[in-house]
Amino acid sequence: MAASSAYDPFRPAKRPGGKPETAPGYRVLVHRRFVGHYGELVSRVGIQQAKQFWDHVAHAPGQPDPIASTTILKGRAGRPKGPGWSRTFHYEISASGRIDYQYNDTYKATEGSDPHPVVAILTINYSSH
Amino acid sequence: MTDTIFQSSDLAGGKRTEFLDAARSGLARLRDKDGTSLVMLPESRLRLLQTLATWWEAYSRLDALLRRSLAPTANELGELAWLRPFDRADLEEFLSDLHDALVAASADEDEAALADTLRAWRITARQLEDPLRRSVLLGQHVPSDYVEVDEPSGGE
Repeated sequence: MAASSAYDPFRPAKRPGGKPETAPGYRVLVHRRFVGHYGELVSRVGIQQAKQFWDHVAHAPGQPDPIASTTILKGRAGRPKGPGWSRTFHYEISASGRIDYQYNDTYKATEGSDPHPVVAILTINYSSH
Repeated sequence: MTDTIFQSSDLAGGKRTEFLDAARSGLARLRDKDGTSLVMLPESRLRLLQTLATWWEAYSRLDALLRRSLAPTANELGELAWLRPFDRADLEEFLSDLHDALVAASADEDEAALADTLRAWRITARQLEDPLRRSVLLGQHVPSDYVEVDEPSGGE
């Protein structure tokens, strides 16, 4: 799978496994260097965990997850990337799958555009720690 | 520290239960036949004390290393070599976090705060070990770096 275009604030990343039952509160974006990793999500961790992750970031990023462990990264890696961004959350999607993300409730992709909530997936890796 | 000092003969007598109760509640002192002072305490408390001693020593060592102008090498970090992905500012933040966690664990008589802090720093270190992850985690947010993706294959 390849990235088709730069980020369009009105076209969120699609949910693994189909449409969500309720409209997501947050648009989900993926860093271009990890688009390939995102494409492997279902095959790597399974559809159940992929859905669980999507529901977490689309509806309650930053909140405790009922199943997965989340940790706020420390030091510079954990700091917000700018005004409005959260700290970096480290989501353990499986024993060997980890995803780092930040969220922003009032993100503007361009100057003058309407603010909207987004989750930015920064990194994905499938190597066990 | 309790004022009651049991005798070794108490372990076979009527005070055996009293001795064990004192040990369960924190600490029991016993004078051995040769005069040696012995204590019995819950293993969990001993583990906590050992953990705190280990990490206070590590704290002191890192504190001394960071007082120099040179960045500590992996060899100098020793058991803390897992901290090597961090720059000096992060190491100083780790040192401050470690201090706070040690004080909290000592006050709580529970190493949970220390374990949580160390776990978060270890996870961060592992994320920064990879050059690609490091560059994204430490880089600025650039909107054009974020792209639309298709639905992952292998779904329902």
